[in-house]
Amino acid sequence: MPQLSSHAGRRPRFLISIIIAGVLSSGTFAVSGESGSRFERTYTPQGPAHLTISNINGTIRVVAWEKKTISARANAAPSVVIEDQVMGNDIEIGARRNLRLGHADFEVSAPPETALTIKNYVGEIELKGFNGHVSVTSIDSNVHLVNIDSPAVDVRVTTGDIYFDGELHDGGAYSFQSMKGDLDITLPSGTPFNLNARALSENINLGSFVNSLTGSSRGPKGIAGTHLKGGPRLTLTSYAGRILLHKK
Amino acid sequence: MVCTECQEIISEYIDGALELGEQVNIERHLADCESCRAVRDDLLQIVHFSHQLPLQSPSPALWSRIRSDVDSLHTGVWSRPQRWLARVRALNFNLSIPQLAAGAAVLVVVVSLSAIVSQRDGRPLQPAAPSVASAANADVTPLSNSDFQQLEKQISSLSATVEQKKTSWDPELRSEYERNLYYIDQSLVECRHQLKNNPADDVSQELMLNAYREKVRLLDSFEKF
Repeated sequence: MPQLSSHAGRRPRFLISIIIAGVLSSGTFAVSGESGSRFERTYTPQGPAHLTISNINGTIRVVAWEKKTISARANAAPSVVIEDQVMGNDIEIGARRNLRLGHADFEVSAPPETALTIKNYVGEIELKGFNGHVSVTSIDSNVHLVNIDSPAVDVRVTTGDIYFDGELHDGGAYSFQSMKGDLDITLPSGTPFNLNARALSENINLGSFVNSLTGSSRGPKGIAGTHLKGGPRLTLTSYAGRILLHKK
Repeated sequence: MVCTECQEIISEYIDGALELGEQVNIERHLADCESCRAVRDDLLQIVHFSHQLPLQSPSPALWSRIRSDVDSLHTGVWSRPQRWLARVRALNFNLSIPQLAAGAAVLVVVVSLSAIVSQRDGRPLQPAAPSVASAANADVTPLSNSDFQQLEKQISSLSATVEQKKTSWDPELRSEYERNLYYIDQSLVECRHQLKNNPADDVSQELMLNAYREKVRLLDSFEKF
């Protein structure tokens, strides 16, 4: 099988091509297409990167590491073509659509400050240890966000549970929505926030936050209120699923 | 999965009460079986239509009759229904549970319609929805908000494109689309139902607007295939 990986640090031509691509704001690297294809790349952004991963069917696992490079690997079904595109510090990696749910699993490591945009149709999503903006949209995915310390997080799935364990920043917006699935949010007990929780058909369980929420309004489908001095906006919406809030 | 197995659990499927494995199996079967799809669509129509019916408040006189009937049933309250059920089973109609459920739902619809007609309150009835997608688009709650109208227009245009495209999709992709569309439509029906009971409920309004947006996102995502 041909080697698909490239290492920018060791290949000056690749580095030059990234810079040219940044200047021209365009440039596409089409990789893969081989039987039982394996995609493997290393990117060296010149500052905090914005990484977009688009998948059709399969897991996406993105973990923060201490290196300044971004390493992306994917194992894909033979029919799946994975492409990447680099525009300055914007890196996009994605499985190309065809008429089926072709399978591809992504394993990515990136610096913690990387901003992440994750798009999927079907498959688990796991993000660990990031402090850049996080946006996740999927049709059918359980989403696990662990050790997240981002200024803004937006997660939106049609079907699937969302699990968040992290910190909230003052003035930040944190929105989690599932049409059919539970929201399970774990926050440090000393985190202030403004809560707006809505569950159309199931319960909202605020755990021990229930005692420290002030100015709250409680209706049959929603709870709004302020924890401590407020600040970060925490919006939780579930249509057919529970909302659970835990103190860490 | 064969048709009889599918129809045994299709009610639970519609209620979203199946385990994931069973759900996947039934969806695989539905993707390939037109007759089971027809059964599912019939049941969905009944469920959706019954959700759209206005709630009727019985008169105080009727309440007192019900109370006295309930009081008279206090002794051996379960024996009569059990005997009745046993008699029905003994008749051997060869009806599956979903068929019985559908029959019961039809009965509820007919009785409710009779009640509405007899009241002659002049309220126009909404037409029965022909499919899941159009049930959610049906204008049950008058939408004065231009956002809703704009979204409905967008949904109708995207739906037409997706419906055309999905004939060429792989069954797994089609099933994923239909399942998620169904969940969103169920949420829309639920929002409408709650708004019908309480038109001033701004949480339901907001949830409905959000569900519409989610439907646009779903259609938009699948329109790209």
